Amino acid sequence: MYKISIVAPLIAMLAVAANLALAQNPTNVEVTIDGVTGFQDTALQPDGKWHVHDPARPQPPIVTPGNFSQMAAPPSDATVLFGGKAEDLSLWTDRQGNPAPWTVEDGVMVSAKSDIQTKEQFGDLQLHLEFREPTPPKGDGQSRGNSGVFLMGQYEIQVLDCFKNPTYADGATGGIYGQHPALVNACLPPGEWQTYDIIFNVPHFGPSGELQSPGYATVIHNGVVAQNHQAIRGATNWKSPGKYTPHGPTGPLALQFHNNAVAFRNIWVRAVPVVNDP
Amino acid sequence: MKNRCLLLALSALAAGVLPMPAAEMEPDGKWQVHDRNRPQPAVVAPGATFSQGAPAPADAEVLFDGTGLAKWENERGDAATWITNADYVESVASGSTLGGGIRTKGKWADFQLHVEWASPNPPKGQDQGRGNSGILINNMYEIQVLDSYESKTYADGQAAAIYGQKPPLVNACKPPGEWQTYDVAFESPRWNDKGELIKKACITVLHNGLVVQNHYELVGMTDGINRAQPWQTASKYGPPHSPEVFIQLQDHKNPVRFRNIWIRSLHSGSND
Repeated sequence: MYKISIVAPLIAMLAVAANLALAQNPTNVEVTIDGVTGFQDTALQPDGKWHVHDPARPQPPIVTPGNFSQMAAPPSDATVLFGGKAEDLSLWTDRQGNPAPWTVEDGVMVSAKSDIQTKEQFGDLQLHLEFREPTPPKGDGQSRGNSGVFLMGQYEIQVLDCFKNPTYADGATGGIYGQHPALVNACLPPGEWQTYDIIFNVPHFGPSGELQSPGYATVIHNGVVAQNHQAIRGATNWKSPGKYTPHGPTGPLALQFHNNAVAFRNIWVRAVPVVNDP
Repeated sequence: MKNRCLLLALSALAAGVLPMPAAEMEPDGKWQVHDRNRPQPAVVAPGATFSQGAPAPADAEVLFDGTGLAKWENERGDAATWITNADYVESVASGSTLGGGIRTKGKWADFQLHVEWASPNPPKGQDQGRGNSGILINNMYEIQVLDSYESKTYADGQAAAIYGQKPPLVNACKPPGEWQTYDVAFESPRWNDKGELIKKACITVLHNGLVVQNHYELVGMTDGINRAQPWQTASKYGPPHSPEVFIQLQDHKNPVRFRNIWIRSLHSGSND
C-alpha cells in the first residue's frame, strides 16, 4: 500500500513533466556545468555568443548590497499599485481579467495561482517595487523563489532567489529573462526585502510593424545597477530567443506566479515618458 | 531707447526672468544655450528619503563618509581643503587656503555614483547664484547642483540638468537645507585610434529617486567649466581622452554641502 501510494502520484507527475517537455521542445536536454543547470541545445542568441539559458555563460559577479530605496515613499506624480491594503488588489486582475487571486496579509501581497496584471496600461515608466523571497528557501535553480516583472505584460525582468543559488546567467535575478544577465548578482538572503528601481522605454514599431527602436530597461537591484539602458531583444521566452511582435504604445504591468510564494510590497509607478525631449 | 527698454522689460516679464544676451544654438537647433524660453520641467515632490544614507555596496569605493578628504585633492593636485566634519563636506575652502573645486584621486571608466547634497539654508541669492555647485565628471561633463526649489533659472541650468545641454525631466528639488540624492550611471565617451568619436558619453540620473536623465547622450563638454568651452557656446567634444575619468565637485562660491559619496564600476560584470 505504502509503495503504491507513493509511486502512483510519482508516475503521474513524471508523465506530466514529460508531456510538458515534449510540448516545449523534445530535443532540449538539460546540462549541468560547474553546478549550473541549463541548456546548450537551445537556439543561439542573436549575437551568436551563447545559447539561450547557457550554463556556461559567465555568472554575474556577486556584490553584497546595502539598503537603498526600501520603503521609498512615492513621489507626487506616482500611481501607487500596491500600498499594503487588501483593496489595492482591485487595481490588478489575472491575465484573463478575473479578480487577482493573490493574497494580501500584513500589508504584503503574495503570489498565488496565476500571474496578475494591472488594469491600467502603461507606456514608458519608472517603477519601484520590493520583493521578498520565501524563507527557508525551497528548491534549486529556477525553482527557488521564482517570479517576474513583466513590462507591457511581456518583457520580463526576472525575480528569483539567487542568493547562493546558481542558475543559468540569463535567468538570474535582475536579468532580462533569456536574453541579458544582470551586470551583478546583488541578491539579499531570502526573507529580506529587496528593491527594484526600473526605468523602461517602450519599443516602437513602424506602420508595417517593423521594429523602429527596441525597448530599453534600466534595473537597479538593491541600489546596484543590474541593467543599464539595456536593449531588449523582444518578448522574453523560455528556451527561445527574444522576438518582437508589433503592439501598441501601452500595456499592463504584470507580476508572475511561478509556483513559488513570492511576497511584494510598496509598488509605485510613474507613467512618464522617460526620454529627454524636448 | 525708451521703447526698447520697455520692450525688454515686457519680455522679461513675459519670460518671468531677466533676458540674456544671445547665445549659440544647441546642436538640435531647437533652443539657444541657456535659453530662458525653454520650457521649465514639471515640479514633482519627491518621496521623503529614497536612497538617503544608502550604504555603499560591497564593490564600491567610499569617497566621503565624514572621515576626511583622503580620496580627494584640489585642482592643483595638492591636499583638498574644503571644510569637513563628521556629517558633511562643504564647497568652501577652509581657512585662508585658495578656493577651487576638489577632485577624486581615483578614476573610473564607466561608473555608478551616489552623492547626497544640501543647498544652503536659509537660501541666499537667486537663479544661478543660489546654491550653485556641480558634479564635474573629468572636469568636462557637468551635472548641475543648484537650489532650484521654488527658484527659477534657465531650464538647462537648473538642478540635475546636464549643464547647458539638457534640462532634467522633472524638477525634483527639495527645500534648501534638506538632504537630496543623486544616483548616477555614467558611460565615458570613446574614440578610436584615429581620434574619431565612436561613442558619446551617456548618463542616467535619479534625483531624489526620480529619473531626471535617462541614458542621455551628451553632445559634448558642458560649457563654462574652466573655460574649456566658453559659457553660452554649444557643447562640443574636445580632444580624445581616456575613458578613465575623475569626479570633481565644483566651487561656485556658494556653501553647498555633500555627504555619503560612493562610486563603483558599472561593468564589473558583462551582459553582452
